[in-house]
Amino acid sequence: MPEDTGKIRKFDQKEWIKENISYHKDSGSWAWIYHRISGLALIGYLFLHVYSLSTLTAGREAFETKMKAFTTPFFMALEWVLFIFVLFHSLNGIRIVLVDWADGARYHKMLYKVSWIAGIILFLVMGYIMFSHEILKLFGK
Amino acid sequence: MYKYQSSKNSGAKSWVFQRISGLALVVLMIGHYILMHYHPDSGHTYDAVLGRMQFSWYRIIDLVFLTLGMYHGLNGIWGIFRDYNLKPWLKISVLTSLFILGIAFVAWGYNIIFSIPYLRNITLN
Repeated sequence: MPEDTGKIRKFDQKEWIKENISYHKDSGSWAWIYHRISGLALIGYLFLHVYSLSTLTAGREAFETKMKAFTTPFFMALEWVLFIFVLFHSLNGIRIVLVDWADGARYHKMLYKVSWIAGIILFLVMGYIMFSHEILKLFGK
Repeated sequence: MYKYQSSKNSGAKSWVFQRISGLALVVLMIGHYILMHYHPDSGHTYDAVLGRMQFSWYRIIDLVFLTLGMYHGLNGIWGIFRDYNLKPWLKISVLTSLFILGIAFVAWGYNIIFSIPYLRNITLN
């Protein structure tokens, strides 16, 4: 890192990337990176979501032809994958609130681990909720 | 007095509201996910949507959900841009684009929700 001369440094893309990659990353840094990626994915999805539901204004038939594509196993799996982003952003968001408002700086690393464990459990629970219909069809009545 | 022009607004209010809206969104989002996926039909058929939308509370929840989600998301994007110390003209352009994008999509969403009819004679079973 060049020494601080008091002037605002000119932005150098290459140096910026080098600095960021070489920076020693603790759990908090990874949380920050994943929080950003998942946040961008979720706001992107919100735009798509409004767009994909816009056929509701055109009545039943238009809506159901469009929805047919989203009820395929592939899309159901994608919706489950989307829940990873939702979960990470939610749980890490709660962690951030605790750090800001509940002295969480003292235990944020523990919170990070706990949120991963809770996240994996909730991911599996949601998988069961989403696919329970199919699971029940597979195994007996 | 102020070293940077933009520091007149400390951003404290938007920071607090980002946390509050975030906490509300956690609850709304988990509920939304369960509601839309506990049965394959519940989120994907016209009848299910029409049935839910007969209750004004569902409409109100959806409107609040959409508004909060859009605010939280676009404010988050604005937060990313704020990290990069943009030139003033770029700042204003980005902020204006985000505003227009947000208002347009929220209006679109409201229009979709309000376009779903209330049925007069329904039998609930």
